Amino acid sequence: MIVFQTFLVLVMIVAALAAARFGDLLDAVIACALVSLMASIIFYFLQAPDVAMAEASIGAGLTTAIFIFAINRSIRYEENEKTD
Amino acid sequence: MSHLVFVTIIGAGILLCLLRMLKGPTSADRAVAVDTVATVTTALLVLLAFVFKRYVYLDVALVYSVLTFIGAVAIARYMEGGL
Repeated sequence: MIVFQTFLVLVMIVAALAAARFGDLLDAVIACALVSLMASIIFYFLQAPDVAMAEASIGAGLTTAIFIFAINRSIRYEENEKTD
Repeated sequence: MSHLVFVTIIGAGILLCLLRMLKGPTSADRAVAVDTVATVTTALLVLLAFVFKRYVYLDVALVYSVLTFIGAVAIARYMEGGL
């Protein structure tokens, strides 16, 4: 089981790096949802099901919806920063 | 011993969905990949409730599946353009 937890942490790290690197903000939000999912499973493994439930409800449900509302009101694609 | 087989299969599913999430050419591929991870994860939570012999943990799987559905609906409505 400790191997599987390590695997979940690695998936979480890869998803977090992908969220940081995606230029499309919708893709970044989707990757953030994956990070939150993995965090929820890890809390569940650590025998804290109430924390896992809170993480699932807030992270996977509410945060994704709120970020999507924010993208809908602003821009979807990341603009290149001008370095002058 | 059979738990190891279950966990290995579920880990392979999560890994394949992660690869599709990284590669996916369009946003729809990534959204469907993460939604599939949520489904596989729900199965994993039910399985772990069986492994740990604590059936209170099944409530977590219930809440999980309902709330990830809300996120998937929000993403789908945004991509449709009707949010």
